[in-house]
Amino acid sequence: MTPETITPAKVAAPRPSHQKRRARAAETRAGYGFLTPWLIGFFLLTVGPMAASLYLSFTDYDLFGAPEFIGLENYRNLFDDPRFRQSVVVTVTYVVIGTPIKLAASLAVAMLLNAKRKGLGFYRSAFYAPSLIAASVSVAIVWKAMFIDDGIVDQVLSLFGIHLGGWVGNPDMTMPMFVLLAVWAFGAPMVIFLAGLKQVPQELYEAAEVDGAGKVRKFLSITLPMLSPVIFFNLLMETIGAFQIFGSAFIISGGTGGPAGSTLFYTLYLYIRGFTDFKMGYASAMAWLLVVVVGIITVIFFRTSRSWVHYAGESK
Amino acid sequence: MTRRTIKFAAVGAALALGLTACGGGGDEGNDGATGDGGTLDPEEEITLTVTWWGNDDRADRYNQAIELFNEEYPNITINPNFSAWPDYWTARATEAAGSALPDVMQMDLAYISQFGSRGQLLDLDPYIGGELDVSGMPESLLASGQLESGTVGIPQSTNTLALFYNPATVEQLGIDAPTADLTWDDYDAFIAEAAAAGAGLDPVLYGSGDYTGVFWMFIQHLVQEGNEVFTADGEIAFTEDDVRDWLNRTTDLRADGSLFPTDRTVQLAPLGGFTVNEVASEFSWDNFLAGYLADSGAESIEMLPMPLGSSGERGMFQKPSMLLSAGSNTEHPEAAAAFIDFITNDPAVGAIFGTSRGVPATESARSELSAEGTDAQVIAYEESVAGDITESVPTLPEGFGSIEATWLRLAEELGYGQITVDEFVERWFAEAESALA
Repeated sequence: MTPETITPAKVAAPRPSHQKRRARAAETRAGYGFLTPWLIGFFLLTVGPMAASLYLSFTDYDLFGAPEFIGLENYRNLFDDPRFRQSVVVTVTYVVIGTPIKLAASLAVAMLLNAKRKGLGFYRSAFYAPSLIAASVSVAIVWKAMFIDDGIVDQVLSLFGIHLGGWVGNPDMTMPMFVLLAVWAFGAPMVIFLAGLKQVPQELYEAAEVDGAGKVRKFLSITLPMLSPVIFFNLLMETIGAFQIFGSAFIISGGTGGPAGSTLFYTLYLYIRGFTDFKMGYASAMAWLLVVVVGIITVIFFRTSRSWVHYAGESK
Repeated sequence: MTRRTIKFAAVGAALALGLTACGGGGDEGNDGATGDGGTLDPEEEITLTVTWWGNDDRADRYNQAIELFNEEYPNITINPNFSAWPDYWTARATEAAGSALPDVMQMDLAYISQFGSRGQLLDLDPYIGGELDVSGMPESLLASGQLESGTVGIPQSTNTLALFYNPATVEQLGIDAPTADLTWDDYDAFIAEAAAAGAGLDPVLYGSGDYTGVFWMFIQHLVQEGNEVFTADGEIAFTEDDVRDWLNRTTDLRADGSLFPTDRTVQLAPLGGFTVNEVASEFSWDNFLAGYLADSGAESIEMLPMPLGSSGERGMFQKPSMLLSAGSNTEHPEAAAAFIDFITNDPAVGAIFGTSRGVPATESARSELSAEGTDAQVIAYEESVAGDITESVPTLPEGFGSIEATWLRLAEELGYGQITVDEFVERWFAEAESALA
């Protein structure tokens, strides 16, 4: 991920000889040959179903009979559906609260691990490990066991005189529980932050020290601006990822989005509409609305990024 | 890191949102006269897929039954498969979309019209009298598996609602056990008394959960009072006031914390307050007895009939607890019919399942049930309430599974105090109308 990525145009710059050109054509064929299995899968398993779901989003389809075209009705019904509104509120709350906390936590840990001390390799692996398993079914089950009545969290908090009871059964506490689960899995952005921190030239810090800058000043004036592309990248990926939360919510709530709809994340409601209520057309409309909204958010991020993201080698 | 690489990654991540769906439609069912469905060729090697919902205990029983089946039909190989209730319907719906339903599957009253009216289920009429013998079953029961298109499910067993109570818990509370002649008001008084007595104990004990949150209890109440539940065209026949009055039965108990707390129920799932011995009584289907005894470890659990209605009658009904259906896409309809016949009628199979699926539907399947233990208690209960079973189970409209789930969900919100009874009524009717449309 350096600014000087090698593109085919640059390699091909000098005019190639006839022989070279033939060799390149063979290589191209071989390249497409190797791509074929992936291309087939991409069209059959990704593009095809996506096109099908776009069509289904304009139909009334209950999985049993043939889909019946109803135009935009599914999309109109979305806005009259209180559970849909609830799922949007739950998901947006999760994204808006969870993502910044997760990014801050991963940056903090990355900075700790960027220092030179013994056994760093071990710590880096140890801190990365949770994110490898956080999306798994077993962790969701463990999480549920930790946060029920008399679970380990309840017991530990009780030692400090905080009696919250089980978080799993309390609609006000389920959101903090999911945010904690997300924050705990900070490994992926942490590794990227760490790579970014390694690229910040040490001379800048040395020069700043000569000028008498303190730790906070160095962080604000050097680390953050130099890291801004990495922060931007992580913010974007984590935001998109947060919109897609499903597995842990499905398991902890038993697929219902409960208690009292407090874990009714967007994708979970989409699943319930499609596979429990058999309203597949409606579910498809929800899926496409999510794609469009995430797309718009991404575009907004890119637009605003011009004012705060600084790329190395880019003059302003 | 460049702007280009970030853009690329963002597009990839956005695409990974995973937009997938399934296409396809169902085949139309075929009509045929009774008994002309052809017969099974004993030489032909046939493989059938058979699936059901339930726990490990039920799987053991099915596997034993399948072994017996193979002794009689060595040419038929059975591929068994099972899952828990919610996943079961997700998988079947997906299969229905691709016309790939199992050859034989367990079916529920709440879903049969959804699958059957779209031609997804095999019309079994041509096999009745041939491979499939239903003579040992009352007509009224057989009717529950019949749609306009024909017989698409064979009822396996019946159950009826009961009030279960745990004598040990009642004793711990130091109060009188509920009796068979109680009214609804008596029962509510029992709940209040139990909660008052149990408040100081560790763990805190209760008399009951909020029974108004169980949709079938509401249906029982309507039937008992002589009200229609659903119209013939599958519309709701009761009013908002009916629902409001029903939910308000327990409003006072709800307000003063006399009902088993909702947050505890949520956390105990899939168990419940009754099965962890923190609740003294619970309404449920009578075939739950075996499960209750196993889960709670209680020495004994007693069963009482429904409380008396305002007319002094109980107005109870029997509900087919489950049916067996065949997918219309099956390549071996006569073998599927033979398997359904065997599970429905064989006395040894009846003894294997006992009352775990409800009381067996046919006389022959009941003939070898053990004379003591759980099965005997359930059968004795059904015999004792035979005179109270004066009504028939309402015909459930398409989408029933959905409105039942909505009821349960709103009851949970009511239990948390997030909505009022009026909001419950308003939201349930709004969602039910769209689900039944």
